[in-house]
Amino acid sequence: MGGTPSKGQATQLLDKVLGLARGVECLASLSANRHGNTRFAVNEISSSADVEKTTLSVTIQVGKRQATATTNQLDDRSLADVVGRATRMARLAPENPEAMPPLGRQTYRGAVNASDAATANLTPAARAKAVGAALAYGKDAQISGFFEHMARSHALASSSGLRAHHEWTTIDVRVTARTSDGSGSGWGGGTGHRAAELDAGTLAKLAVDKAKSSARPTKLDPGRYTVVLEPAAVSDLFGWLTGAFGARRADEGRSFFSKPGGGTRIGEKLFPDWVTVKNDPTDPALTTRPFDGDGMPLAPTTWIDKGTVKALSYPRYWASKQNKPPTGSPAGWILEGGKVSRDDLLKGVKRGVLITRFWYLRALDPQTLLVTGLTRDGVYLIENGAVTRPLTNFRFNESPVQMLAKCDAMTPATISQWVRVPALRTHEFNLASVSEAV
Amino acid sequence: MSISRRGFLIGASAGALAALSTPRSALARGLLTEPALDDLIKRALAAATKAGASYADVRIVRMRHENLSTREDRIDNVSSTEEYGVGVRVIAGGAWGFSATPTVVAGEAERVARQAVAIAKANASLMKRPVTLSKETPHVDVWQTALTKDPFKIPLEDKAELLLAINREAMKVPGVKFVTSSYSAVSEWKLLASTEGTYLEQEIVRLSPGYSVTAVNDKLGEFESREHDFAARQAGWEYVEQAPLIADARRIAEEAVAKLKAPSVREGKHDLILEPSNLWLTIHESIGHPTELDRALGYEANFAGTSYATPDKIGKLKIGSSILDFYADKTTPGGLATCGYDDDGVRTQHWPLVAKGVLVGFQTTREQAGWINEKHSRGTCYGDAFSSFPFQRMPNVSLAPSPTERSLADIIAATDNGIVVGGRGSWSIDHQRLNFQFSGQTFWEVKGGKKTRMLRDVAYQANTLEFWNSCDLIGGPRSWELHGTMADGKGEPGQSNAVSHGCPPARFRKVNILDTNRRSA
Repeated sequence: MGGTPSKGQATQLLDKVLGLARGVECLASLSANRHGNTRFAVNEISSSADVEKTTLSVTIQVGKRQATATTNQLDDRSLADVVGRATRMARLAPENPEAMPPLGRQTYRGAVNASDAATANLTPAARAKAVGAALAYGKDAQISGFFEHMARSHALASSSGLRAHHEWTTIDVRVTARTSDGSGSGWGGGTGHRAAELDAGTLAKLAVDKAKSSARPTKLDPGRYTVVLEPAAVSDLFGWLTGAFGARRADEGRSFFSKPGGGTRIGEKLFPDWVTVKNDPTDPALTTRPFDGDGMPLAPTTWIDKGTVKALSYPRYWASKQNKPPTGSPAGWILEGGKVSRDDLLKGVKRGVLITRFWYLRALDPQTLLVTGLTRDGVYLIENGAVTRPLTNFRFNESPVQMLAKCDAMTPATISQWVRVPALRTHEFNLASVSEAV
Repeated sequence: MSISRRGFLIGASAGALAALSTPRSALARGLLTEPALDDLIKRALAAATKAGASYADVRIVRMRHENLSTREDRIDNVSSTEEYGVGVRVIAGGAWGFSATPTVVAGEAERVARQAVAIAKANASLMKRPVTLSKETPHVDVWQTALTKDPFKIPLEDKAELLLAINREAMKVPGVKFVTSSYSAVSEWKLLASTEGTYLEQEIVRLSPGYSVTAVNDKLGEFESREHDFAARQAGWEYVEQAPLIADARRIAEEAVAKLKAPSVREGKHDLILEPSNLWLTIHESIGHPTELDRALGYEANFAGTSYATPDKIGKLKIGSSILDFYADKTTPGGLATCGYDDDGVRTQHWPLVAKGVLVGFQTTREQAGWINEKHSRGTCYGDAFSSFPFQRMPNVSLAPSPTERSLADIIAATDNGIVVGGRGSWSIDHQRLNFQFSGQTFWEVKGGKKTRMLRDVAYQANTLEFWNSCDLIGGPRSWELHGTMADGKGEPGQSNAVSHGCPPARFRKVNILDTNRRSA
């Protein structure tokens, strides 16, 4: 697998696009990825691919009229076509009073060493070897999973002088193990930017151990329980909170962060002291760019500080209307962790439930951030500080707000599913009905 | 047929000659006659074969999207997307390999063909059961969406004006504060050719207009939204022209306002009447996905899970009451998954999944047919882009209407106490498709056979088998509606599939209803 366009190649191409967009304002974006993946199931490889993808996106603005055209073809004729298409559409589009002109030159601070050559250049044989280490556990359980590595780049240029470029790599490994009698299922997964840091065999062992320990579960009545959520479960729910930080919806009265009667909840202490939510685009393991699609610089920001809402995100138009500094669209989320161990989380539980991860989360109420979903791949009863037996799965109806508001202990944060989160203990978690799925 | 294509076919394989000898292929015409593509296909297939592939196919795909979105009195976004490229899929050493490039020239196609073979060979030693394809007749043909007006030729202003007119109409209703509307059109053109002589050109056009109205009570800090129920469809612009999008806007807006003032539902067991605009998604999740054969056999275990339905239960598992017949097809006119041939080159079909409530069939591809001892594939292979490995994807899955005419109003009139749910709300189902919980857009209380008042905060939660077995009334042919989604996710890396589901309204007895109101918490 080759690399993605270098900074020089991307700049040259985007300059060519800007040269074609004469007399109009233009933002050109070139994103590229080269990825290789191997999928496995039922103890063998089920598919595998090496793919190259490139997207050139051209936004043309004529006064307040704006349109975007994209292509993945980069020959001169296609460049002229995409600029022509965007220009024609922009001239035909009704005026958008919210259209903002392209940004000029910006300063970015991105992750250092975000691109790992060894991850970018993994061969199909290296992937097969890594997956083989997971499949070796097939004697103990039915192994399924996914191994994917990517080399990515994104470059922006505007007619106002904006120039941005970032290269990074990603690695994503997930393994599910099911016991031969079908009564137990376990999971292990990891994400990051360096393939060397994730071992499919180790994740498979974790999945197999979970599958065996979760086999032949027994039922526990639905209800509100103290729960210990492992990092994957926390990250599943955390995403519903981080997706709600938009200031506009809060100002418009249609967000969890809206205050009844008008205004937002900035300044309100909604969570305990130990809840701090940040984002940090300089953390390479979070695999994010230092700019958003507009080219707005993304800076490390604290959104909830020691339980108090400190900030909401302002896209440029809304920031100008509300007279606030624009934040761009934040990425690279972190829920700061605590200092206790996983065992310590369990020790504090007289009777509760340990949850590995969730599945099929969907919003029930955007106002309260109430979410439904299911537990999966290892649910256990905790009694007097220790795991005592596996349980059948549950459907939950709960919100990330309540998860954090009622949290009383956290482990140090770790990377899970592209965010940095701890395992945590929380209370009165609504396990609403039983699911017999394994 | 062009000389170059004939040359390609004759040169490709014996299968190609067989295809040419059939009357159907002899009549095939209108295939894109671009010698450069013929040459590319021929060279890519030859490169794969030379590198050691026992089977190879080439898909050249061009996807075009046009999207407009608005809010209130302004345009939010206008965009046009084009993506073009070539993917080569091979079997070598009994394993699949796939590689793709956006550079559609013969040299690149040869390179990715060799890369696909290299991938397959790297994986071959880890295969326990070599990939085997069902024997199918290679086809040479064309297929395209039946349409009168190409939506990509309709002026942008017409589309923008339609959306802004919807918004204006909705904003007239007191209490409405926000409206968003959108329109998207997708054109999927692809050329599929294989070492067996398949040569198929297809073009599918799908449209999805939609809008959402939000009412806000600033004083209480409460809000409710109501999304339209209008179905995405494989169609031309005439479908949008004939749709009551503007005519419905006021009613949709009034329902958003009514919902904001409505009382929460009383939790407990209630009789439930589901309109087709809601029931289609329940069918999708609880019947459509569970009858995907790869899922049923564990091939999706790491992502979406497995299934309550397994092949050993064919003819035995009573999924629902005896009034229920579910069928799969890729042939229903206007269906989002409808096409002439799947990405294995198999002609599309119509077949039963559940007959009189009992499991009778699965969705298969050429690779999978033999897994359940079927001779032929059901033709459900699909890759969502040139760069996507084609695999088993859901066809249209529908519930047949009752032979007796019965309307939604008739079902309501026959119900003493119940709740009518319309529109697509929140939806979630477990990883074996048993425990589900769905919401909707509108919820009406029924008392003494009449709709009485609107409710809100309603979700229905059930076990799939108990739910379908509690179904005691379904509507007749005239109450049957085709709905669907443009974006059904499956696989790793994730792929999107457009699929329709037709159904009549239906009644279910004593279903668990939840109150999802947490506003006072």
